[in-house]
Amino acid sequence: MILRRVQYEAAAHAVGPFLAALEDWRQRRRKRPARESPFAPPLESLRALKDMMMVHYLSGRYADGAVPVAWVTSGFPVEMLRTLGYHTVYPENHAAICGVQRIVPALSDAVEAQGYSRDLCSYVRSDLGSLDTGKSPVGRLPRPDLLACCTNICQTVLYWYRDLARRFDVPLVLVDTPFIYGEPAPHQTRYVVDQLEEAIVIAERVAKRPLDREAFSETVRLSREGSDLWGQCLDTARSRPAPWTGVDGFFHLGPVVALRGTEACNAYYRTLLDELKDRVARGIGGLKGEERHRLLWDNLPVWYATREITTLLGSQGFNFVCTTYTNAWAEASSLIDPADPMTSGARSYSQIMLNRDLPNKLRLLERLSREFGADGAVLHSDRSCKPYSIGQVDLKDRLARDLGIKTLLLEADHNDPRSWASELSANRIGAFMESFS
Amino acid sequence: MTREPYIRRQREEHGRRSVAVLPVHYPKELLTALDLLAVEVWGPPGAPRSDAAGRIQAYVCSVVRNALAFLASGGADAVDAALFPHTCDSIQQLATLPSDFVGWKKPTLPFLHPKYPGRPSARRFLAEELRALATRLEEVAGRKLEPARLAAAIALHDEIDLHRAALLDGRATLPLDDRALYALLRRGEWLWPGDHLAELREARAKLGTGRPPASIPVLVTGYVPEPSALLEILNGAGAFVAADDYAAVGRRVVRDDRPPTADPWQALADRQLAAPPCPTRAADQGPRMRHLAGLAERSGARGVVVHVVKFCEPELFDVPAIRRTFEARRLPVLYLEGELEAQLSGQAVTRIEAFVEMISGAGGAA
Repeated sequence: MILRRVQYEAAAHAVGPFLAALEDWRQRRRKRPARESPFAPPLESLRALKDMMMVHYLSGRYADGAVPVAWVTSGFPVEMLRTLGYHTVYPENHAAICGVQRIVPALSDAVEAQGYSRDLCSYVRSDLGSLDTGKSPVGRLPRPDLLACCTNICQTVLYWYRDLARRFDVPLVLVDTPFIYGEPAPHQTRYVVDQLEEAIVIAERVAKRPLDREAFSETVRLSREGSDLWGQCLDTARSRPAPWTGVDGFFHLGPVVALRGTEACNAYYRTLLDELKDRVARGIGGLKGEERHRLLWDNLPVWYATREITTLLGSQGFNFVCTTYTNAWAEASSLIDPADPMTSGARSYSQIMLNRDLPNKLRLLERLSREFGADGAVLHSDRSCKPYSIGQVDLKDRLARDLGIKTLLLEADHNDPRSWASELSANRIGAFMESFS
Repeated sequence: MTREPYIRRQREEHGRRSVAVLPVHYPKELLTALDLLAVEVWGPPGAPRSDAAGRIQAYVCSVVRNALAFLASGGADAVDAALFPHTCDSIQQLATLPSDFVGWKKPTLPFLHPKYPGRPSARRFLAEELRALATRLEEVAGRKLEPARLAAAIALHDEIDLHRAALLDGRATLPLDDRALYALLRRGEWLWPGDHLAELREARAKLGTGRPPASIPVLVTGYVPEPSALLEILNGAGAFVAADDYAAVGRRVVRDDRPPTADPWQALADRQLAAPPCPTRAADQGPRMRHLAGLAERSGARGVVVHVVKFCEPELFDVPAIRRTFEARRLPVLYLEGELEAQLSGQAVTRIEAFVEMISGAGGAA
């Protein structure tokens, strides 16, 4: 236990940062020919982002046996776990890395052979496939002591985590957030508060320590600040030209998902915000050339084809300036009050976009379109994410009708490239761009 | 009599209003106590009734797509409201589409049953959600809910389930083919409970008087027995449904003896929680697999048919566990996936026939 703890701390504070610095040095020395691209040079902060995520995953390899480990859904109120000293792992984040690395078909094949349907979410198939095959771009994930699941993003995570609980034989805490039609009823908020209290009891038992309520409030404050900083970063794209692209946002999202509630996360976003503001002041845009059209993206990224899609659009001066997906984490902790973390947390985590009805989503799409000056919208119809995708046909029509913007429904799957028709999609994107002329 | 004339007759003769109800679990007792006729909408099967199905992507299940098409086509215009239980992500989202985007003018009521219902928080929430739903239903019914009527409705549905359980459990001695049995059981989806009870009593009197037209017992688990031709093909091949775990049928038959309580609200919550384990309520796989294994064992099933609607995540997530469960018991499993087609494909027919032939071999071993 002590040795393990030493390894974990060393990975987090010495070896990890050293290896990250070494990798930075090697990258700087490597003379790569400049890749033909419509994008401006990458943000300097990207290096810090990679370092941070690398250290997070590297330290994770030594976390089991050293500190309590929780596997957590992206919308779970993680602040309680952070305060209890858990090392948190986000299987969704890990699955997305598998998607970017294009190893999902091999992982999915492994679980499909056991009877898991290809119609199930590709994040689930990626994650379970990684467990079964031992293949992972990050080496290995630490074994969980606790599974923490919140249904505010979908019901799928509950089935996914139930499966993980069986595999690992560890407790599963569930925060079941009632779907909100209109405004939340008081008994719905009470239900979430009750579950948070139940979750804390189990998390305390697994961590073998009580929750320090004062420290909990401080974590909540950090979490709220992190969400706020992330929101400010996103808001810089209201400028013309936007200082980055929506695709940058997908990747810079990592810390607010995986490290929300830590000072390291907030420090990173302060750095990023400074750089984005500097770009705005100097008129540097996310595209090399003129930003002719500004787009909104709806739904998860197509992880294995983000570059393909944005390069095609960027080469014609189309830039994604806002996305509903990245915006979700600016909202995640925005309503939390450190003075009353339970009730305010229940409200905040229940009211994220995916847990609310379609009129609310339409208002959000329209607000983002207006505030970011979007003249077009691409709605990713994601066969792996039904809660995000159902209603998009009507939402697309309403956006076009109410705001007069051009819209495209793009069929794909966020993680499984077998559901991606590259040529067909290129044709559709081409036709979409032509419609602006 | 079909549904629409029946709904109209209930209104004319009894002054009863009606509510279209989406799958799966909902407190029907509340509707009965408020003199509201529940008319369930499981699709309906077959081709979508209008172009509105195209407003939902093709990778969403046909229950949801067909239901939207049905509501948009005016197919449910005879009812006074629609109730959307929180069964899955798709039905949850569907609940906001008809009134907000498709022009459905009647009230739409959500019912949020808690997931992982064994927890104390879930029990408290269920009790409050039942009362919240009752308030909304009172507006549709135009009357107040009386506790005595709620208690009577619970007793009525207990009796209905008693008969349904007896028919399912004593299936091997019932001289009905599967299609006729399921038609009877599924008329409960839209008949007034009193009328349904009368039919059930009549059928129950036939228990022990004969046999189904086939001899090889199978367990069927899945969402909804559509198309019903599946049952005919099974019978024709020599098998019959000896044990049922359809979400639409067996998983809604409450069998547990519950502690008596004088409080009808308590009794209502207890009844909701006593239903067999169902993935749409995120039941733990352990108890569900034990439940399925028990059904197979008691019925003497020689094979298991898993019959799911394509894209139905709650059902699909349990399929690997079902395979493991019955592989360990050396019971062959046939996996069928459909989209509420009007007819079974030739391929599906062949697979069913081959499966029955396989399990009808010596000892029924695969």
